Amino acid sequence: MTDPLLGLYVVCDGMGGGNAGEIASALAVEEIHAHLAEAARHADLPLIGPCDATVSAAANRLASAIRAANDVILRESWSRPDYAGMGTTVVAALLREEVLTIAHVGDSRLYLVRNGTIQALTTDHSWVAEQILKGLMTEEEAEHSPRRNIVTRALGVESSVDVELTEVPVKSEDMLLLCSDGLTRGVRPDDILHILKGSEDLPTLADRLIAMANEAGGNDNTTVVVVALRDELQAGLWERLKKRFVA
Amino acid sequence: MPETLTQPAKLLVKLHGKGSRHIELSLETFTIGRKADNTLAIEDPAVSGHHARIVKVQAVFFLEDLKSTNGTAINGKPITRHQLHDADVITIGQHRIVFQESTTASTAAPAPSVDLDRTMVLRGTDRTPDEPALTAKVLIIAGRTDRLEYPLTKQVNVIGSQDGAVIRLTGWFAPKSAATIARRGQNYSISPSQGTKSLLVNGADVVGQQDLKDGDQIEVAGVKLMFYGLSGTKNASR
Repeated sequence: MTDPLLGLYVVCDGMGGGNAGEIASALAVEEIHAHLAEAARHADLPLIGPCDATVSAAANRLASAIRAANDVILRESWSRPDYAGMGTTVVAALLREEVLTIAHVGDSRLYLVRNGTIQALTTDHSWVAEQILKGLMTEEEAEHSPRRNIVTRALGVESSVDVELTEVPVKSEDMLLLCSDGLTRGVRPDDILHILKGSEDLPTLADRLIAMANEAGGNDNTTVVVVALRDELQAGLWERLKKRFVA
Repeated sequence: MPETLTQPAKLLVKLHGKGSRHIELSLETFTIGRKADNTLAIEDPAVSGHHARIVKVQAVFFLEDLKSTNGTAINGKPITRHQLHDADVITIGQHRIVFQESTTASTAAPAPSVDLDRTMVLRGTDRTPDEPALTAKVLIIAGRTDRLEYPLTKQVNVIGSQDGAVIRLTGWFAPKSAATIARRGQNYSISPSQGTKSLLVNGADVVGQQDLKDGDQIEVAGVKLMFYGLSGTKNASR
């Protein structure tokens, strides 16, 4: 999901039997977008959950939107037996001026491509990532671990959710990649970088990434969002100018 | 509002026969004594009128005995001046005050006992340990800002005139965003904003991004700042 006007980009990866996972991720995307759109119209919309003073007001708003989505999914999961236990991961990026806010829960990631290098700005909330952090497992072991599917945080599972917020300054030549674990499980960051350095337009780049994930044995439901800041910052400026002169 | 430059240190005050309570050390000077004008007044004839005080110098707290009749002790030893460390016990007469610098909790994670092929959630694991709450700060040496000193409390600290800027420029022609100081883990780096013509660190131009170290001088948008890093903090061992 992308909304350049709000500067919002979201990838959710649902889990749960049948199509419940898809329902959960769709609910999350919809609710996060609705909450932020509502906040853009009414600045006094109450925040859900605690306020984190180490990040901007916009970041706290994004976390609030994700908590709202958590509530919606949890409620829905109790409404029908086949929805029981559904949940979703989320990685959301909010772009304003030159600050990028990232909120994530679970093992969907955000990569920053800058000056020909690629860097993950999120740390997975997964069991294997915790083991790596503690030094109990190498990245290589994690890739082959039978427990690599276990996430330690997700939306729709408990009545409250711990949203990790990260903010970084960004530049107009940067690119962002938001992706579900379907991409990162089979494809190495260097290979991703190689494709993103290509000169094709963004939808083509996204398609190539997904094709590569599927070749690497992906499960066919990989989601990616590619953002070029050059376009977005300019588009944002253009929209603001338009609003100023039209309104 | 008083500025809190680091995370507030606390005192756990256990007055003899009166239970205990927490007091935040939010003031630069915290006085202890029998008289009512002390920050902490203890009604006890064994306590001098102005018995002792705790003074904050930069991020460090010192306890000073104010030539009291019955003296002040730290961890059982009488002192006149002492640098406070976490969990130091101050004794005044029969009263005890525990100095608490910061609290970091950690819990062990239960090992998961599940092994399935699809993505699933494991509940109740520990959170990633919190980074130490110590923050770097900048002092304003020259230029128009709304304060003279700013703790860098956020992950991204904007220097500019915009709402939400941490270092708020108040000059007439100050740009909305001149530069940003970002924290990643324990490291701080500065980068110029779009449209900023000149950002100098120690007199040298910064083009992309530059790591900041203690004592660096920053010049941007007509303002001169000094960066105070996290030097003097011990590396957390885990």
